[in-house]
Amino acid sequence: MSKRNKLDVAVTYTLLIIVAFIFFFPCLWLILASFSKSGSIYSFKGFFPKSYSLQTFINLFTDTRMYNYPRWFLNTLFVATGSCLLGTFLTILTAYTMSRFDFKGRKTIMKSTMVLGMFPSFMGMIAVYLLMTQFGLINQLWGLIFIYAAGAPMGYLTQKGFFDTIPKSIDEAAKIDGATNFQIFTRINLPLSKPIIVYTALTSFTWPWSDFILPKLLLKEKNLYTVAVGLMSLDETQFARFAAGSVFIALPIVILYFCLVKNMVEGISEGAIKG
Amino acid sequence: MDNIVRKKGHFLNPDNKTKKIDKLNPQENAKGLKGFWKKSSIYVKLSFLLMGIAHLKYKCFYKAICYFAIEVAMIAYMANRGIDDVIGFFTLGTVKADAWTRVEGDDSIIMLLMGIFSFIVVALFAYFYVQCIKSSYKLQLNVEKGIKSKTFKEDLMEYLDKKFYKSALSLPIVGVCIFNVLPIIFMILIAFTNYGGTIVPPELVDWVGLKNFQKLLVLSKFGPTFIKILRWNLLWAILSTALNYFVGIGLAMLLNKKCVKGKAFWRAFPVLAYAIPGFITLLAFKFMFSYGGPINQIIIAHGGKAIGFLDLDARTSSRLIGLCVNCWISVPSIMLLATGHLSNIDKTFYEAAKIDGAGKFACFRKITMPYMLFVTMPVLLSQFVGNFNNFGIFYFLRGGLYKKGYFLASDTDLLINWLYNLSIDNNYYCIGAAISLIIFLITSAISLFIYVKSPSYREEDTFQ
Amino acid sequence: MKKRLVAIMLVSSMMLSMAGCAKNGANADEVKKNESAAFDGKLEKNVTIHVLENDTAIEKGYFKDLIDAFNKKYKSKGIKAVDANMDQYSDLAKDGPYGYGPDVIYQANDVIMKYAQGKHVLPLPIDKIEGHDKIPNCAWKAYETKVDGKTYTCGVPVNVQAPVLYYRKDLLPEDWKEKWDKNKDNIPDMVETWKGMYDFSIQRHAEDASKYGYMKSINDMYFSSGFLFSYGGYIFGKNNTDPTKVGLNAKESVKGAKVLNQLASVMNEDCIDDTITTNAYSKLGDGTYFATMSTPDMYSTFLSEIEKNYTGLDKKEAEEKAKENLVMTTLPTLPESGDLTADSKKEIPTKSMGGVNGYAISSYSKAPNASLLFVEFATKYKMIKKRAEMLGIAPARKDVASDVGGTSQQIYTNLDKNNIVLMPSVTAVSQIWTPGQTFFTDIAKDAFRTDADKKYKNLDDYSSGLDEMCKQISEAIKTLK
Repeated sequence: MSKRNKLDVAVTYTLLIIVAFIFFFPCLWLILASFSKSGSIYSFKGFFPKSYSLQTFINLFTDTRMYNYPRWFLNTLFVATGSCLLGTFLTILTAYTMSRFDFKGRKTIMKSTMVLGMFPSFMGMIAVYLLMTQFGLINQLWGLIFIYAAGAPMGYLTQKGFFDTIPKSIDEAAKIDGATNFQIFTRINLPLSKPIIVYTALTSFTWPWSDFILPKLLLKEKNLYTVAVGLMSLDETQFARFAAGSVFIALPIVILYFCLVKNMVEGISEGAIKG
Repeated sequence: MDNIVRKKGHFLNPDNKTKKIDKLNPQENAKGLKGFWKKSSIYVKLSFLLMGIAHLKYKCFYKAICYFAIEVAMIAYMANRGIDDVIGFFTLGTVKADAWTRVEGDDSIIMLLMGIFSFIVVALFAYFYVQCIKSSYKLQLNVEKGIKSKTFKEDLMEYLDKKFYKSALSLPIVGVCIFNVLPIIFMILIAFTNYGGTIVPPELVDWVGLKNFQKLLVLSKFGPTFIKILRWNLLWAILSTALNYFVGIGLAMLLNKKCVKGKAFWRAFPVLAYAIPGFITLLAFKFMFSYGGPINQIIIAHGGKAIGFLDLDARTSSRLIGLCVNCWISVPSIMLLATGHLSNIDKTFYEAAKIDGAGKFACFRKITMPYMLFVTMPVLLSQFVGNFNNFGIFYFLRGGLYKKGYFLASDTDLLINWLYNLSIDNNYYCIGAAISLIIFLITSAISLFIYVKSPSYREEDTFQ
Repeated sequence: MKKRLVAIMLVSSMMLSMAGCAKNGANADEVKKNESAAFDGKLEKNVTIHVLENDTAIEKGYFKDLIDAFNKKYKSKGIKAVDANMDQYSDLAKDGPYGYGPDVIYQANDVIMKYAQGKHVLPLPIDKIEGHDKIPNCAWKAYETKVDGKTYTCGVPVNVQAPVLYYRKDLLPEDWKEKWDKNKDNIPDMVETWKGMYDFSIQRHAEDASKYGYMKSINDMYFSSGFLFSYGGYIFGKNNTDPTKVGLNAKESVKGAKVLNQLASVMNEDCIDDTITTNAYSKLGDGTYFATMSTPDMYSTFLSEIEKNYTGLDKKEAEEKAKENLVMTTLPTLPESGDLTADSKKEIPTKSMGGVNGYAISSYSKAPNASLLFVEFATKYKMIKKRAEMLGIAPARKDVASDVGGTSQQIYTNLDKNNIVLMPSVTAVSQIWTPGQTFFTDIAKDAFRTDADKKYKNLDDYSSGLDEMCKQISEAIKTLK
């Protein structure tokens, strides 16, 4: 038995190392490329640069004449934080309502959101652009936040799945005690759903962080660009700078992950308190 | 343990209730309508003209103000631009703009868009209008019966309790309507116009009825390409969804094993992949597999011959690389979600199964999988939809090729890439919109069918 | 960076106007009166003009010098020019009508003329431009459009864009004067004829397997289509105005396709995809490649890449040395026989796709007169000369071209001789790029297929390949009409 166990552990760790390698290698490649001294990707020997320097990162933050990375970074931070807060709020609210309330048109809403998601989104981009010109929200970071937040509730299904697993018996008990539905939501269910809130926040933060189609469409001025748009506008000879920008863009998400990971994994499982 | 899924115990069944109400309503309504004219007071009738006047009469002031304000706002909107917008929707402009002679003309596309917007506003107003009449009639009856009507505060409280769903959903629904539904309606309507090619503003766009669909049917170019791409698109959506899903869950299970120490550390690697924006990953992979990329450099350095992983002959290898790269991008988020769900399974299930002599695989098949399928069905579906419409992957990996036998597409392109080639690249919006409408009808029918049949839609409370 | 590449390819290469300019230029007097009513001569007071320049001009500091000089001169009149601070490929037709576009744009003629079709740019009173007579008629013609029988000119030509050859003088064999100059005209054969380039590429690669002679991504329609034009191919019928007739397979254009395949065979697999397009700068810089094809505006980028390799020298010395070693010249000639492996009896000039870049004024500008003032200022002799010096571009003004001399003048002459084919001004031109790219990828790839797998064994195979490409293009045009 113990021999089998040891074998099991060995196999598990081998698999883990392989998985870690598969996921880490391309990232490592990008990270090292960003420290390349020559700046050109074609001077590499095999996968990695011949010599390293910090120059690219220094340029990234100091040489802002053509490519104002620090500014882009702040813009992105603003947009991502804004749409994260607003989007998470709306998504949780929608998911909770769809899970807990039984009203006319509920199934219709569920089915139609499902169907709406199937429509190729870029076909609607023209309309979104024209709408924003009419509302005067071109060249406004706020405009982006509105759109991201407004679209967020469309993906409420995952969150609804979570609320479905929180026993309704708790609600009923509270109702007998005279609590209103609003109170049940804020006082009982919301504290229980910390994990899913964290998950939602993380995903709705990541999306604006990496999207470039919408900001490209709505932000005309270079100093309003988000990082993704800015990186796409880099000259093709600037590979190291591109890599450095990409590495740095990933940093906040990794940090966020390490801060929130505990809440997230535990949280989702907490939903399983059996009723 | 099978019966977990099949247990249909105590879940709420909305169908029964709503059916009853539906049966009752028509009779009541008919009666109500006839009785309404006879019974309703002059003030209620006056409400048809001046919203809120009945409320004023019956001393329900705050509602009177609200309804009156709504009517004023509506009239202001209509006078200001609403009427023009509605007319514009049908004409799509009559005066052509000429910037050279400084003639300000009509922008057909804006007119179409704002026309749709005005219909939404009108529909919203109609809703309030009916509500106003209903509520004033009810108010009158209550006053006649001597029932005290609710105060402002009570009404407001109701929106936090019984009608909480209304207040909670209003904001998301308005947002979705403006930024998701409106653009979709817009694009659907574009399929019935001649917008695109040389007919873009300042040229005037016109309604053309079903001409675009006729074109699709008559011209033999579209059919064969459509079938070929649809076949590959379906295959791709199924394969990549299955691959991502099982790898994601497998990874979560691997990390969930008791013997694994430092879970957060191991989990960090996939998260790193998750943190890098998708388009950067795709560009990086494209470069790696290109002729001058590091993989080919290594092959050449070892005396081999460069391999065109993604070039025009490489249909199969491009497709495989596409699957793997997509897996690399999507697995981390599935893994994160699955990790949480896995630890949710009641351990007693496994213990019971062990006593019954079930092996590890049997446990997986009989307990883990049914449970996971149930809780992650929404994820699976959104994965399917996302993969079906996965634009980026082949656009970045293998764009800029048209293959023989395909019309404006290559053999790795998905429908959405083809659509892009047609509509955005070449500006043929109306044809693109017509095709996307057809695609949309097909795909939404499929996914709706799957969704409605799925346990997580039908038996929402199974795992309560 | 694919998207970017596509964008660059589309924008930089969708050049238009009728082929064969020069001789039959319209009489300037006819054009004179046809200008927009917007130019009433009353200068707007206290206005800011947003100018959208190209990235190279901004990066190399020319644009800053330009607006500084302008602002200094017109400060008293309350006119100020600023950087529009937008993407250089922003679409005026999408932004302008809603008030988000620039006032003045610098773009290739095809882009400007696309705007002109929708009247997004204003027709200009071109006789007010200082260098009006110095700019050849064919360049002006690139900006002409006919509306209701009247001819309007919507842009002011600044510089000519056409493929040029870049090579490293210091990488020529030491004995080139004896062995590589058959006609003793003091021009090395490898940069004079493609046959010479072909032979030299083989020799250079044979001497050192890691080095190459001529390198260029063959899949690039913009650079590769010139080989088809040289042997009689054309894009659309009736001087590129009739998209119902696609002529890329006309006359002996198969020879051009075969030459491309032969050139690919002396490169490596990198020529099949975009690899060389992006690595040519650094690889020419470190001496891996001897020569490549690009456009004049990339001169400064090549220069700085070479400088990077002179580590021991200070900045100024490195720059001088790089300038000495990097040569930009017009394209070598092609053998009439269409075969680079045999001795050539007669040489013909290589034609190429090209365009004219210039300034235009947005129809949505609130200050058209002040914008015109800026355009007048920016196209003066002094500024164009400065532009040519700082950016290495080939000016469209004859006086500057002859003053700068060298390649600039040669390009100017080529434009005059019809060797630069300006792109059609019809929208259907957008259909040629992907089919073209697919075909050229295929013939490049064929050079690396094993003999058994080869698709293109004789001229008939090339011919059917070209026919297939033309069929794809015309079907797309017909279907989407």
